[in-house]
Amino acid sequence: MDRDTLVIGAGSSGLAAAKNLGLAGFEVDVVERADDLGGNWNFAAETSRVYGSTHMISSKPFTQYPDFPMPDRAPDYLHHTDVLAYLRRYADHFGVSDRIAFATSVEQLRPLGEARDSGWEVALTGRDGEETRHYRRVVIANGHNWSPKLPSYPGQDDFTGEIIHSADYKSAEQLAGKRVVVVGAGNTGCDIAVEGALRADATYHSTRRGYWYAPKYALGRPADQVSDLIFTLGLPLRATQWLFEQTAKLVVGRYERFGLPTPDHHFLETHPIVNQTLLYHIGHGEIAPVPDIARFDGEVVEFTDGTRVAADLVVFATGYLIRFPFLDDDALPWQDGRPQLYRNILHPHRDDLAVIGLIQPDSGQFCLVHWQTVLLARYLQLVRDNPAAAAVWRQRAADRLDERSQGGLALIDSTRHLIEVEHLDYIQDLAADIAALDALLHDEATRHEVVA
Amino acid sequence: MTWPVRRRPRGTRIRRGPVGAARRPYEPVLRRRDWTLPPPASRHRELISALPDEPVEGRPPLLFVHGAAMGAWAWERWLPQAAEAGWAAHAVSLRGHAKSDAPSPLARTPLRYYEHDVLQAITELPSPPVLIGHSLGGLVVQHVLERYRAAPAGVLVGPVPPAHGLEVLGGLVRHDPAALAAALAGREPRPRAELLVGRDTDHAIAQGWADRMGRESSVAATQALAPRRPRDIRAPLLVIGGGDDRVVPPHAVSRTARTYGVRAHLFRGLGHLLMLEEDGDGALRFMLRWLEDTLHATGRLRASAPSN
Ligand SMILES: Cc1cc2nc3c(=O)[nH]c(=O)nc-3n(C[C@H](O)[C@H](O)[C@H](O)COP(=O)(O)OP(=O)(O)OC[C@H]3O[C@@H](n4cnc5c(N)ncnc54)[C@H](O)[C@@H]3O)c2cc1C
Repeated sequence: MDRDTLVIGAGSSGLAAAKNLGLAGFEVDVVERADDLGGNWNFAAETSRVYGSTHMISSKPFTQYPDFPMPDRAPDYLHHTDVLAYLRRYADHFGVSDRIAFATSVEQLRPLGEARDSGWEVALTGRDGEETRHYRRVVIANGHNWSPKLPSYPGQDDFTGEIIHSADYKSAEQLAGKRVVVVGAGNTGCDIAVEGALRADATYHSTRRGYWYAPKYALGRPADQVSDLIFTLGLPLRATQWLFEQTAKLVVGRYERFGLPTPDHHFLETHPIVNQTLLYHIGHGEIAPVPDIARFDGEVVEFTDGTRVAADLVVFATGYLIRFPFLDDDALPWQDGRPQLYRNILHPHRDDLAVIGLIQPDSGQFCLVHWQTVLLARYLQLVRDNPAAAAVWRQRAADRLDERSQGGLALIDSTRHLIEVEHLDYIQDLAADIAALDALLHDEATRHEVVA
Repeated sequence: MTWPVRRRPRGTRIRRGPVGAARRPYEPVLRRRDWTLPPPASRHRELISALPDEPVEGRPPLLFVHGAAMGAWAWERWLPQAAEAGWAAHAVSLRGHAKSDAPSPLARTPLRYYEHDVLQAITELPSPPVLIGHSLGGLVVQHVLERYRAAPAGVLVGPVPPAHGLEVLGGLVRHDPAALAAALAGREPRPRAELLVGRDTDHAIAQGWADRMGRESSVAATQALAPRRPRDIRAPLLVIGGGDDRVVPPHAVSRTARTYGVRAHLFRGLGHLLMLEEDGDGALRFMLRWLEDTLHATGRLRASAPSN
């Protein structure tokens, strides 16, 4: 017997998908490999990539689901345990928890045909062993922050110290008393460098280029709220960037003074690095900034400027790969290292497969993911209720497949920006689509016009 | 063929209108003000509850929202009766009202802070509640229903209209200009008792309710009167009012109902505070029966599927 809709993953994206598709009248099953919901925020899970001290880097208002605010009593930036509690209440409140099969993973997805609505054969492994089911449609929400991306340098295999990826970094204990090299200036890399400053014997922070480091607070308020306020002032992009850069100069001065390279790009042109304490610890001599690694040599790590330091531990905070291990490569339209989906959600050739959460926003996720799932639900409703109108809308979408909602920013070319979206640009694109789909869904006149 | 696909012209960049600029179809999604200038968090929010001895399986909770200058106490007559009829009934006090604290000056509190308070109360409930709002709270509930689409139903009791708030102004100017002026100035309105209740309710008792009223935000009161285009509400709606209501007169209640494509139910002899009046118990019974029927009809009473 055919089942209706399968959502893969009970992280923040899968939960929103299950809830909003359920509200739109679809029968949703959720499968989750771990024993609990929460995905990345479920610290106990094998694929969780948060560490003991992780707090959110985006503040509550834009991060939260718009119809389920984070509690007033929670601080501006939630600790990961509070995020998990929040996700649990969301799932319980909207009745999603009852629909999740835990300790169940999708091993393989096979299309049941070439048509847009053929459906999928799903091979599952659960508590009761293996099982194969047919679903009318599948929504993938397996996350993109779990499969480590590891660089390789000459001599790496013969390095006498230990090398780990930040995926395996769970607590500052791992750094205690060691000489540590942290590689990568993402938010995780900066957090680990700061923990090194407090716990390690010596901390070297290796970054490939100069970055802009944004504070968590500005003018006494969470900085992301202030920057969104500046965005809504209606200034041209360059003027906004200039404003941010001048503010950075006023607050920290020139990065060169700290031994950091000058940023080689304008503000906003990389995924934001939000860290208030990194420069503080550099200024206190507790973190030594160093450039890219050149090679390993026994117990020594050599950097591109010729600096050589002996190290006990190297932490590669070098990011994660986009992976769908249960899907054949040709099932998604891969292009330049990312699946080319409409608004990072809809498959151009199929209505029975969609991906939710495949974005890296320069702000909070849950809000954007909520609207992603609303868009998906509206589109699927239109396909169900008015296929002709859906076909016309789809044609328009196909013409815009290359739109990436990056706010006109010239993001520096890096795998880290494959699925980067500028949150204000992206939410407006989603909003425009949702309004258009709503109009089609509610417009009886166009229905007859199209059908006729 | 004109096609209602709104698209952003290619190449336009981050659209930065004035904060919260209403591009109507987009604003429910964007809600810019709420991320850039979020409502200040409150430290204490009053929620009073009456729970049934024997809960009826699968019934959603009820969340009552009071009107201007009142508090959760406005529902003290209805809550126990609803619980007795088998409904988990809760009433929230908006910030700065009754026992809820005011994290910022009450006089300058906009309506969206009240919406936030209702959403905060909603997140504390085990499943999506039926939202019931009286007067100004009825307007707040309309706003919340626009963005909280999981609500199984909504009930508006003598609601401030979604768009034509000025119709309320006329009656107040005629019947009790002093109370109106006080409310708009952020002082305690101290309305005259006969403004608030129907002809059968003892004015001395009504005076007690009037005296219990606190202050209201002048910003919220002004916003409530200002014209605004109502948006789509997905939840089934019931609109009820008092036939003798002098604050939100029957014609304004009917117009609100028409706005949402439903018929208003007006109860003869009842005034604006019908939920406190003795004869208002009939309105509660009517509402609970309507809820029961509506939730059955929309399949929302099934215990297993609160999300559908
Ligand atoms: C250190 C760190 C800090 C972060 N800080 C923030 C922040 O401040 N704000 C913010 O918005 N975001 C932040 N993020 C991003 C974070 O990833 C998102 O908030 C969010 O958790 C992504 O949710 P998701 O549901 O898309 O993916 P995940 O949370 O990864 O969930 C995917 C789920 O799918 C399950 N799954 C995968 N494959 C299968 C399968 N084959 N079968 C069954 N189940 C499967 C997994 O077990 C997992 O539970 C941070 C990430 C990291 C690593």
